[in-house]
Amino acid sequence: MKLRALIFLTLISAGATVSTYGTNASDFSRDVRPILSGKCFACHGPDAEGRKAGLRLDQRDAAIEDHAVVPGAPDKSLILERVTTNDPDDRMPPKGAHLSASEVQILTDWIASGANYEQHWAYVKPKVEKAQQDSSLEWPTTNPIDHFVHQRLKEKNLEPSATAQPAVLLRRLSLDLVGLPPSIEEVSEFENAPSEERYEAAIDRLLASKHFGEKWATHWLDLARYADSNGYQHDDLRTMWPYRDWVINALNKDLPFDQFTIEQLAGDLLPNPTRDQLIATGFHRNVPGNFSGGSKVDEIRANMLHDRVSTTGQVWLGMTMECCQCHDHKFDPISQKDYYELYAYFNQSIPEVSMEGVGMFRKKFIGADVSVVASSEDARRVKAIKKQIRLERTALENAKPAALADQARWEKEFLASDREKDIPWDRFPWNLRNGARFLNTPLAERSGDQNENIHALLFYDHRFTGPYEKAIDRLEDAIDEISARTMIMKDAAKPVQSHIFIRGDYTNPGASVEPGVPDVLHALDSDLPPNRLGLARWLVHPDNPLTARVTVNRFWAEIFGQGIVSTPEDFGMQSTPPTHPELLDWLALEFVRQDWSIKQIIKTIVMSSTYRQTAAVASDLIAKDPSNRWLARGPRFRLPAELIRDNILAVSGRLSGKIGGPSVYPPQPEGLWKEISGADVKIYPTSEGEDRYRRGLYTFLRRGNPNPMILNFDGSNRSACIIKRDRSNTPVQALNLLNAPDFTEAAHAFSSWIAEQSGDDESKITKAFRKAVARDPSKPEIKALKTLHQKHRDWFSVAQVILNLDETITK
Amino acid sequence: MNPINLLKRREFLRQGTLGIGSLALSHLLQQDSRASTPLKPSRFPNFAPKAKRVIFLHMVGGPSQMDTFDPKPELDKWDGRSLPAELTRGQKFAFITPEARAIKSPYSFASHGQGGVVMSELFPHLSKVADELTVIRSMKTNEINHGSGELFLHTGHGRLGRPTFGAWASYGLGSENNNLPSYVVLKDQHPNAGPAAWSSGFLPSKHQGVLFRTGAQPLFYLDNPEGVTRGQRKDVIDTIGQMNDLAFDRYQDPEIQTRIAQYELAYRMQTAVPELADLKSEPEHVLNLYGLNKEASGGAFGKNCLLARRLIERGVRFVQIFNKGWDHHQSIYTGLPRQARNVDQACAGLLTDLKQRGLLEDTLVIWGGEFGRTPMVQEHNAGSGAKTPPGRDHHKECFSIWMAGGGVKKGFTYGSTDEFGFGVTENEVHVHDFHATCMHLLGIDHELLTHRHQGRDFRLTDVHGHVAHDIIA
Repeated sequence: MKLRALIFLTLISAGATVSTYGTNASDFSRDVRPILSGKCFACHGPDAEGRKAGLRLDQRDAAIEDHAVVPGAPDKSLILERVTTNDPDDRMPPKGAHLSASEVQILTDWIASGANYEQHWAYVKPKVEKAQQDSSLEWPTTNPIDHFVHQRLKEKNLEPSATAQPAVLLRRLSLDLVGLPPSIEEVSEFENAPSEERYEAAIDRLLASKHFGEKWATHWLDLARYADSNGYQHDDLRTMWPYRDWVINALNKDLPFDQFTIEQLAGDLLPNPTRDQLIATGFHRNVPGNFSGGSKVDEIRANMLHDRVSTTGQVWLGMTMECCQCHDHKFDPISQKDYYELYAYFNQSIPEVSMEGVGMFRKKFIGADVSVVASSEDARRVKAIKKQIRLERTALENAKPAALADQARWEKEFLASDREKDIPWDRFPWNLRNGARFLNTPLAERSGDQNENIHALLFYDHRFTGPYEKAIDRLEDAIDEISARTMIMKDAAKPVQSHIFIRGDYTNPGASVEPGVPDVLHALDSDLPPNRLGLARWLVHPDNPLTARVTVNRFWAEIFGQGIVSTPEDFGMQSTPPTHPELLDWLALEFVRQDWSIKQIIKTIVMSSTYRQTAAVASDLIAKDPSNRWLARGPRFRLPAELIRDNILAVSGRLSGKIGGPSVYPPQPEGLWKEISGADVKIYPTSEGEDRYRRGLYTFLRRGNPNPMILNFDGSNRSACIIKRDRSNTPVQALNLLNAPDFTEAAHAFSSWIAEQSGDDESKITKAFRKAVARDPSKPEIKALKTLHQKHRDWFSVAQVILNLDETITK
Repeated sequence: MNPINLLKRREFLRQGTLGIGSLALSHLLQQDSRASTPLKPSRFPNFAPKAKRVIFLHMVGGPSQMDTFDPKPELDKWDGRSLPAELTRGQKFAFITPEARAIKSPYSFASHGQGGVVMSELFPHLSKVADELTVIRSMKTNEINHGSGELFLHTGHGRLGRPTFGAWASYGLGSENNNLPSYVVLKDQHPNAGPAAWSSGFLPSKHQGVLFRTGAQPLFYLDNPEGVTRGQRKDVIDTIGQMNDLAFDRYQDPEIQTRIAQYELAYRMQTAVPELADLKSEPEHVLNLYGLNKEASGGAFGKNCLLARRLIERGVRFVQIFNKGWDHHQSIYTGLPRQARNVDQACAGLLTDLKQRGLLEDTLVIWGGEFGRTPMVQEHNAGSGAKTPPGRDHHKECFSIWMAGGGVKKGFTYGSTDEFGFGVTENEVHVHDFHATCMHLLGIDHELLTHRHQGRDFRLTDVHGHVAHDIIA
């Protein structure tokens, strides 16, 4: 507490003119801190151990004390002397680019005007509640988002673009909300009367669709590093799809984000948790595990816990903390102690890895799990089998007295027979040798345990009881086959003491630490328990300046292609400043005000005129803002891997609408699983029928060698939390879409569909084109496709062209 | 990109046979999707590079240093006895205990060439080109398991998620070729770490290694679907191009232009890549260099070495080859000589072939494993405990590698280990130093080639790495 108070005081004394988003000449957050952080903090920042010459520049008092900064006197400030000197031995920074003249000027002005520090914007609670109304605005603004955006456009001398064509807009909306294209009928209906009401109705329809959860789960599963195998050598399979289905369902029922957070991080610690709340905690059981021969159980555990801290930090706080494993953060005010206090929350879990695996010191997962079934049909079967087991057990109990009465005769008979070799000894709690020996002990000398063991064998082998025992075994096996067990979190009954690992080495524990949160952020409420539940509740506490901002920024990035903060995993000192800080704050507050409703905040975003702008603009606008940071046009970018496939399958009519269940195995090149080193499961069980055409998020993700299509289009093997994917543009992608079997199958299906359409070639082409990209083709577009069709007299080539258009794989 | 340039580029693209000029092609494989991002960090190389390309022969499993390049006559005296406790105490081993008994090398050593490079009898071919080599006996790593050790060797980090050396090279230096990726991976078997061993990590995904498979289809999805002729395909590509051009008129999105070119390039790769992978055009004396006479059916490693030369010739920046089978827990008498035989001639052949073509001068060839092996014997199966023939366990404290060409000294031996081959005594080259040195040979200051990720400027050498200037010619 003392340290927190100290930091707090520093911040107060620092902020003489606290204007987080001020636009005055020398703005600390915008102009000065990026220079200090980028050029100085690595050696003169928060990391006490790595600090050079004892100088720190991230705190005003310390900088003044060392005369690095003398407020009001640039000529006396040593920092300016050192960054400008011509003596190469003295010049700072010693490595890398020197400060530019304009950077030196910024520092000079800042010191001249008093060298005021400000708290980093992201650690201050969002406070913008209202957009400035702009009466001169000639834009059909539909909500406050547009006012914030327009303010920046004016500053940049840009004009907003017109609304997109109705067909294009509906396609964009549909791909954004459910990840699937609209049907031709839906497009026509909307085109005929594209009113405000119809637009909103379309949003509501899509938000209510069961496919909404699938689309938005795909993104969340990247953060959760969800996969169907362990990774590393062996790369054993695991059953985590129930967690994936939990995410889909939670999004579909619009579980508020605070609850969404609590259940995933700590569902097991809620009072009387439901099965679903337990499955939700699979979030942190998704970590990969290196179970190879010589790996050490303690090392695997430490790596898993580091991953949990790192993922939690990035996903909820936009904080990158990996470096604090070994030392205090170089840029952000997070100490190594802060880090291990977070680690301590996760260190409460029971052991999850054991040495007991088969083969060469193979490790396996232990820890908590729950059983799950894939479908309601299977659930009914399990229920029926369980009923049967109860019946068998009753019959077994009824038969036991008769078997016991016959024990002496049975023992003689058993010992004389060779039935011993047919007994599945691992079924019993002792091994073969003990079993045989026990039988040789005279009845009177047997211990209670021995008697119990012999009775177990008697009941299994005796003709009165054996048939029931064997039936029960078979029925239990049948349940195992239908239902799966999926991993969940569980804490040890007694608190586990955690330590700082010196230089990050798990074999070298230092000072002990208790669960706690970084001092730079809001304090823990005293009534929060010192476990993951307390941590989760702290993350979604109204005083948390980061969680809501970080979350809405990711939603924004999903829709606009990049976040308001373009480093969505990092909101720290080294992050890119927000393009629209007020908008980010407003969205964060709005998100909380709307009770953390994910659907509501997404609706707010897509209702804006900003979102509805056309992306078809003059080239000079693209030249002025190539990456569309200022939002003078609508979003347009290539779809992610899974959605490219979903979209093509949907257009071609092949897509299965089935939701959830075990992962599926669409065709992939042969032999990929055989290549995985030390793998037991080497045969890829290619799916038949409907499962070949399920949505991409259901494709089995084997970390050791994932489906190449996913990798070709910048998907990941989910070896770690992925916040932002690339969008590359490569020839391998062209080969994939033109030649891979599932895509050529789709093109064949699409060509048959085209051939079946009524009307002349031109109308067939028009329908096919509309099915893929929603809008009507232009005359030259029809002509190009018609020429191709006439030359080859088949629709397959036309189908391939349409499915490969830039517009088809682009939103 | 301003509109005038775009227009010019578009006209330019229209001029080639398939609507694409060769100059544009050179960009396209490396072309970033975001028009605002430059093709590569423009300040690299930082100084004149000694090596322009790399061929990295990774002997997966960890060759035994004291049976190959680091003779330990003293070990003969310790044979059958435990090593001094102060040496082994507190050390991590994968399967054996610190008390395990030492085992001498069964192989004899000799020095070769003018430089007197020493190697064991396991490499009769390589010994003839010993004067091309710099042997480093003082390598050191942090990891004792294959998966994490391989990751450490390639990414400088023992866990998944970081970019590999090849990806950094591609990121820093870009590509020199027209029709091929800048970073190509060849393997006889997957390394333990799988594709993570050629991952681009957090670098843009175009820098990930592209796996060329042996056989008729080096790349996935290279062949047209059944029934589609090359003429048909050309018409499809042309029509996609026309349609995308019309879309460009509508959206002015430069990404569309890139896509047009990528489809055209894909079409060209459908012939260029099989041509490249077809070794039939090589004359017999070249095949013989690599030990690939025409009847031989095996020799995946030899073929990969020859393919590497063909890739290098065509301007590929980084060729990564994996040869698996060096994990000799119970086979220093059997498995090790077999594995050495498997690579010996091809390694020597590769160096000779590169030299004859004047390529060795600026091609850095690297040979080595992810770690070394213990001077102590492993004679029990780690799982069952059953007695096995003698072998050696994983060892991170020291191991030997060699390099050739690309600006390293010729016939030179660097660094030394203690009398047991347990630890480094002189001129340690930690994996981070190895990376720093290789980067230096490529003309890159390893501290300057960084990528901002999670708020931090990451680099291959993390916060470590010293260039081993002594090995540079």
